[in-house]
Amino acid sequence: MFFKIAVRNIFAYRKRSIITVLLLACTTALLVFATAYMDGSHARLIQSSVEIYPGYVQITHPGFRDNPSLENLIFDAAQVSASLKDFPGIAVFAPRFESYVLFSSAEKAVGGMFTGIEPEKEMKISRLAASLKQGSYLTSADNAMVYMGSELARRLKVGVGDQLAFVGTGADYSFAADTLTVKGIFQTGLFDFDSRASFVAKPYFDRMMAAKNYATHFIVQPERPVEAAALAVAIGRRLGPEYEAAGWQQTMAGLVQAMRVDSIFGYITLAIIFMVIFFVVMIYTLLVVYARVREIGILRAVGTGPGQIFAMLLLESVLLGLVSVLLGGLIGGVLAWYFHIHPIVFSGMEEQFKQYGLALTAMPTDFAPLVIMRDMAIMFVLSVSATLYPIFKVNRFRPIEAIHHV
Amino acid sequence: MAACALFLCCLCLLALPMRLAAADAREIIKQVEERLNGKSAVLTIAMIITTSRTTRTMKMESYSVGNEKSFIKITYPGKDYGITFLKIEDAMWQYVPRIEKIIKIPASMMLQSWMGTDFTNDDLVRESSISRDYDAKIIGENDQEYEIELLPRPEAAVVWGRLVMGVTKNEMLPKGVSYFDEEGVLVRTLQYTEVKQLGDRLYPSRWVMIPHDAEKAGNRTVIEITEAAFDVEIDEAYFTKRALQRFSD
Amino acid sequence: MFRTALRIAWASLARRSSRSVLVVVMISMSLWGLLFMEGIYDGMTEQMISNAIRSDSGQLSLFAAGYREDPGLHRLIRRDGEIVALLDGDRRVKSYVRRLRQDGLAATAHYSRNVMIYGVDLAAEKRHGRLDSYLLEGEYAFGAKKRGVLIGARLAEKLKVKIGRKLIVSAQNSEHEVAAVALTITGIVRTNNMGLDESAVFIDMDRARELFMTPAGASQISVILQTEKDIPAVQAMLRHHFGILQTLRWDELYPALMQSRVMMKGFNLVMSLLIFGVAGLGIFGVMLVSVLERLREFGIMLAIGTSFAQVRGIIFTESFILGFTGFVAGSLLGGGTLLYFYHHGLDLTIFSEGLEEFGIDVITHAVIRAQYFITAFIAVMLATFVSVLLPLRLLKKSNPIEAINKV
Repeated sequence: MFFKIAVRNIFAYRKRSIITVLLLACTTALLVFATAYMDGSHARLIQSSVEIYPGYVQITHPGFRDNPSLENLIFDAAQVSASLKDFPGIAVFAPRFESYVLFSSAEKAVGGMFTGIEPEKEMKISRLAASLKQGSYLTSADNAMVYMGSELARRLKVGVGDQLAFVGTGADYSFAADTLTVKGIFQTGLFDFDSRASFVAKPYFDRMMAAKNYATHFIVQPERPVEAAALAVAIGRRLGPEYEAAGWQQTMAGLVQAMRVDSIFGYITLAIIFMVIFFVVMIYTLLVVYARVREIGILRAVGTGPGQIFAMLLLESVLLGLVSVLLGGLIGGVLAWYFHIHPIVFSGMEEQFKQYGLALTAMPTDFAPLVIMRDMAIMFVLSVSATLYPIFKVNRFRPIEAIHHV
Repeated sequence: MAACALFLCCLCLLALPMRLAAADAREIIKQVEERLNGKSAVLTIAMIITTSRTTRTMKMESYSVGNEKSFIKITYPGKDYGITFLKIEDAMWQYVPRIEKIIKIPASMMLQSWMGTDFTNDDLVRESSISRDYDAKIIGENDQEYEIELLPRPEAAVVWGRLVMGVTKNEMLPKGVSYFDEEGVLVRTLQYTEVKQLGDRLYPSRWVMIPHDAEKAGNRTVIEITEAAFDVEIDEAYFTKRALQRFSD
Repeated sequence: MFRTALRIAWASLARRSSRSVLVVVMISMSLWGLLFMEGIYDGMTEQMISNAIRSDSGQLSLFAAGYREDPGLHRLIRRDGEIVALLDGDRRVKSYVRRLRQDGLAATAHYSRNVMIYGVDLAAEKRHGRLDSYLLEGEYAFGAKKRGVLIGARLAEKLKVKIGRKLIVSAQNSEHEVAAVALTITGIVRTNNMGLDESAVFIDMDRARELFMTPAGASQISVILQTEKDIPAVQAMLRHHFGILQTLRWDELYPALMQSRVMMKGFNLVMSLLIFGVAGLGIFGVMLVSVLERLREFGIMLAIGTSFAQVRGIIFTESFILGFTGFVAGSLLGGGTLLYFYHHGLDLTIFSEGLEEFGIDVITHAVIRAQYFITAFIAVMLATFVSVLLPLRLLKKSNPIEAINKV
């Protein structure tokens, strides 16, 4: 019965209902969209940083991360490969051997990274192949062909087809040197990376640097990137104490915290907006409820108890809240879905991103139904609680007072 | 009056040994350097580099004039044959036949290991400048040897906090050097052993460098001097940049 | 007449005190929140820019031709004497410093790292960019014999060194020879300019000249002006006089920071609009109801001869009182909070790892700008004005007689 009365009241006071619904729906849509954007942009930031090169899961010798010396290598890459083969949750994995050498071209000598990779597998794991700018990417058969970053090539003043030499230390501490030909040049957009990194096929690298069956680390691409941390733990358990498997959250801890800080500031901003909305809803409810003081007084006079009045008013507010939140959730959800498929393009933000080591131009929103429901629930609670004070206040009137209220 | 004079004389006499000791230390170091380097030296060297994982051997020929100039050519293993090094004063160059390039060793590589050994490029450049960079003092002595402490001069650009060198009295040859950092932690030890007749003199034919850093546990580099000729005429041509390539094969 | 309007307006508001109070609270809370946000976010951005300017680029930097593409001792500013004379004479210039820069190596008995060596004059740097304020440990000095060195905080961590330790700094000098010098670590600095903290060593300028064998010249001249507005003019003037040199503004050297600032401005504007738009809705609701429920009252007033303009005046005054009170209360709260954080700074040490990754100071000092209050005032006034337009129209359209007879 209350239900029917509540519904009737809602329709009777159409203007108030419409305004309240619109306001709350818009706010819900805003919350849903803002959360979707924040989560989506963070996911994209992480994806960008992680996928360009560092990778979601890294496997190393236990001491390697603290002390990356030739004593802390993976000395049996074949064994690791065998353990990882067919491991559930892994999409692709590959070994890498990173070393630091002196490059010497006709004109300049510059220090840089010299890494042996398995080119075919890397294509599916990192963005190296996709960042190709000139020339072509590597194949495993490539001998003395190097794939280098655009800034490094510029510093050495070499282009595709030019020759340069490298001088470095092999895995057995022996002296290593050879002449290389530039096969391709890549540009990831990360200045630091592009000015230091170079890659060759691992078979060639192993021959030059006495690194057969060795690796500095393995890189793992999970089937589901969100589960990277759990996968790292599982891999660690399988490989045992001789190896260490770390997820990106550990290898890029600073990035994780920075995302957290960004989220916090996002939520603070939203909280301020909500505070305003809260007051506005409270004000509107107050107005409407006061406009009905007489009606309520009469109801009280004919015997309706204060508890019943309260329940009726509350029911109205709950229904309105429900409708608004559903409407807003729908609108927000649709927006989140749309921008998930068609990311928002930011012109003018690239420099900022580049400085932080990210190469981005467009941000997608995240589309997560569960999160949307959570946001809707929050708004619902917020909207109903905003009406509590006015309902209490109006219920305190004594019936005769109420009827005579002007 | 007379008593004063006598007292002063005694003081002077007492003071003398100290100064003599200091003078001794410097003298001793100088003599040691002369014996190790000679006015010139031509050496045939085998280097055995041991790490916890592997053992490698390298062989080379070395031509040097005093402290300032030296020329080294690697003769073994085959893949490194023909690599040459030239050191003049504080500068060092390397020629790698495989890439046909002469590389000047930049400042940033000076502290990197030389050819994968426990010696650094800087060691090869600086090993002769002990008398220039350090103040010597005798801190111990017995029948056979002196123990000399070397403290770096304030302006000397050396990373060590302190060196302690043992020198044999009979031959004026070094027995060993211990390298300490500023906090007195032992970082590495160089031992000179197996003294035998080489060329015109007695000479330690086996040098062992042992690093003490925990990260390098199990590493050591052994230098064996198989042949030596001292104070001979060496063609000046060896100490030019052209020599790097010319004498490579 | 005005006083009567005021008295009537006040009385109407007081009669419905709870909703009047609610509106005022709403406006002041929103303003408080908005001011806090603007002050802190702007504070963060400005601090980042300020760090870059003070520790490195100045508002303008001069380099020799081709220096940025090919840095080295072969590209020094040789006419620095002339430039300095010109800067001395220009009243727009607040301070400038000369620096020498070169790639090198810093080593201890255990570790070595590639570094960027800066030859600086500490007293000048203190006057110029308050380099001393970045001192984390030790002293802001090179010692009596000028053999000290200040190093970046992250570099100190990587080399595992402390104050008082010996550091051997070596570099290629102007004759392409490797030169080295033994120095003592006198201080550790944290500039939050990531490039510096990870690889910078600051040595005495004279020491640097000795080490590099460059008795004259400078790699960089960093200039700070009295006011930001003069930057383009001074840049043009310097370019005119010293055409071959590269004269660059801080935002040309750090474009990402300028983007941050622009983005923050945009963000603040959007937030202001949003918040006051919504607040305006609140005022609108209240004014609408307030007018509608007093139609009878107004009808009587109009009937006895009060002009519509006067009634309008009363309604505007009510709205204005609400808005203005809210504005004052919000400004006091917000202003007070910002003042507190301006002096004490907001401490975000729990997020230090993430913040440092992005070069953001751990303690942020809020910025207070007159603009915040001006924008807020305009927004509030606009909101109060616009929100009564519809109710007034409704009032105008209603018939006084009808209104009086309304039940």
